[in-house]
Amino acid sequence: MGRIELDGLTKRYGDVVAVDGVSLDIADGEFLVLLGPSGCGKSTLLRLVAGLITPSGGRVLLDGRDITHAPPARRDLAMVFQSYALYPHLTVARNIGFPLRAARTPRAEVRRRVEEVAALLELGPLLDRRPRELSGGQRQRVAVGRAIIRDPRAFLMDEPLSNLDAKLRQATRAQFRMLHETLGSTVLYVTHDQVEALSLATRIAMLDDGRLEQLGTPTEVYDTPASVFVAGFLGSPPMNLLPARVECHDGRVRVLADDVEVDLWPGEDVEARDVILGIRPEHLHLMAAEGPAGPGGMPRLRGVVRAVENLGAEESAQCAVGGALVHFRGARPLGLAAGQPVALTTARDHIHLFDRHSGRRLAWRPLADRPLADRQSADHEPAAALHDGVTTHQRSST
Amino acid sequence: MTGAFVEIDALPRPSATVVPVAAARPSPARRLLRALPPYLFLLPAIGCLAVWTYRPLAAAVNLSFFSWNLLPTTPKEPVGLDNYRRLLELPDLWHALWLTAAMTLALLLFTVALPTVVALWTSAIRGRGRAVYRAMIFAPVLVPPVAGAAVWQWMLDPTSGAVDRLIGHPINWIHEPGPAQIAIVVITGWHLLGFAVLVVSAGLAGIDDEYTAAAMLDRASRWQTTRWITLPLLSPTLVFLALMTVLMSGQLTFPLIDTLTQGGPDSATTNVYYLLWEWGFQNFDAGFAASAGLLFFVAFGVVATGLVRLSDRLTFHDN
Repeated sequence: MGRIELDGLTKRYGDVVAVDGVSLDIADGEFLVLLGPSGCGKSTLLRLVAGLITPSGGRVLLDGRDITHAPPARRDLAMVFQSYALYPHLTVARNIGFPLRAARTPRAEVRRRVEEVAALLELGPLLDRRPRELSGGQRQRVAVGRAIIRDPRAFLMDEPLSNLDAKLRQATRAQFRMLHETLGSTVLYVTHDQVEALSLATRIAMLDDGRLEQLGTPTEVYDTPASVFVAGFLGSPPMNLLPARVECHDGRVRVLADDVEVDLWPGEDVEARDVILGIRPEHLHLMAAEGPAGPGGMPRLRGVVRAVENLGAEESAQCAVGGALVHFRGARPLGLAAGQPVALTTARDHIHLFDRHSGRRLAWRPLADRPLADRQSADHEPAAALHDGVTTHQRSST
Repeated sequence: MTGAFVEIDALPRPSATVVPVAAARPSPARRLLRALPPYLFLLPAIGCLAVWTYRPLAAAVNLSFFSWNLLPTTPKEPVGLDNYRRLLELPDLWHALWLTAAMTLALLLFTVALPTVVALWTSAIRGRGRAVYRAMIFAPVLVPPVAGAAVWQWMLDPTSGAVDRLIGHPINWIHEPGPAQIAIVVITGWHLLGFAVLVVSAGLAGIDDEYTAAAMLDRASRWQTTRWITLPLLSPTLVFLALMTVLMSGQLTFPLIDTLTQGGPDSATTNVYYLLWEWGFQNFDAGFAASAGLLFFVAFGVVATGLVRLSDRLTFHDN
């Protein structure tokens, strides 16, 4: 078992709030990734769960037991540190066997288990070496070995791949996935790397400035980001975000900005409002021919190419659209050159709208039967103001 | 179609037509001038070492083969290895060596064992309390040894001293062999404790907190963490302190011995340094004292080399 519940967990350092009332329920066997930029409080949150820091408020529950003030040794959690924290004076075998030795396990038993774990992690030939004689990847595996040798309720991992090179990181990701499937334990994993988060997590908790910004499966978080922050964090390059305005013209609901025109659907009497228009770079295409921008026309962004980047399999073009810079990526070659005027379009399903002030995602709800007064009050609850159809939860691609 | 595959070599190559001209080497004088500055910076330190350490050392080596009573008017009389032979036959030497070793070992209690315990305990104290605590322990270091000795002499007085009144049992600390030795060691230890605690605390601060954090999460108890993680990682610091104790204890105890016991009673507190001083500056047997000094120099050198080697073996560089 290994269910971790966080209830309004808060950590303050003087006036700085590092973790701000985070509540999470991590089910047994889940691989939950805490994702966010540096300084968002994700490592602090992990250390609060580990018991290395005492919280200023809130509770931590492990399988229903309140462990908020229990010392780390009494929590039955294993942790892989970003620095790996391998004991430098002990051999690999002693490092891996340390938790068992601390639990006064008989020597023969320790040796047997160490050999098992070493075989699993391909550390067999390295058992007599000391940490300084190991490469980064080997050290990382020793740190994992030390964590999995006993059967803890949950694993805590603090950016375990951040010190590895790109190729090794990819291999280790696959290994983590395999380990999680074999062991079936709960994992709470901290990273700032979105690829790690999207590829490993069963659920992602996006953190910004100590607060939980969105909680959902990788698909949910990527396809329906709950806020401008999440939209702007995920994706490479991240989602294009343009200040725009929703208006009603001639019986159509439209999103307008400089050089941007998105015709949504028929509608009347929709309150005009300032929004942020979001489109992922991979969802933009070159418009084959200048179609009509009138009712039923494709969304259209006009701009000028500023630069084209070679990404290997793909190319990414930066285009000046109105006052903003829009990234757009597609199969190489795009056939574009700097200075060239372009017209870009996208499927209506791939349009995301966010409130300009709160930054929260907007969804469309038909309000046909409600009186006008209610609609105005609904204006202050942006999440409920627009149709879900604008930003479908299911994408056809990917 | 006929053809052949050729290997593609697209790397830039130096063109064959341009013959590289050997870069003009600067003249020897210029090169010397460029290499000089680091040695110039070292010169004052090396100069001081030469004048105050190596020259006297060479003089001592020279002197050890002569018999001389330190009077400028008396000529030095060459005696060959006679001084060394006499020295090794003298039971005083072996007694002093044995005493020095025993006192040094006892002193290690105050410079290694006790400071480690104190530093481990106080490392848990945070904030202002820590500074106050450290200051209290460090204060004796600032007391001049001779002044300290004078005060201790009053406190150890068998008729009116504070120490005997405290333990409620009259002990003649300065005039009985055992108690005198204990007094010398304890007072030296009291002087050194603060400094040693400071060094151990610095050593503890140099150990990455992540190791203790990892050990805690590995469910090691506090004692296990201390024994298996903290102490091994602290061992280079402890060896350094042991080395300092071995090399300095003789000199540090000297003012106390001189003020309190003058080597007595019945040479119970005559360690090698006090013995040297007696031979050289009480008996005025300069050649004899010089040969003894050289013998101790070599002996301490061997011990120090051993400890430095040990320290190197115990140091674990992470990364």
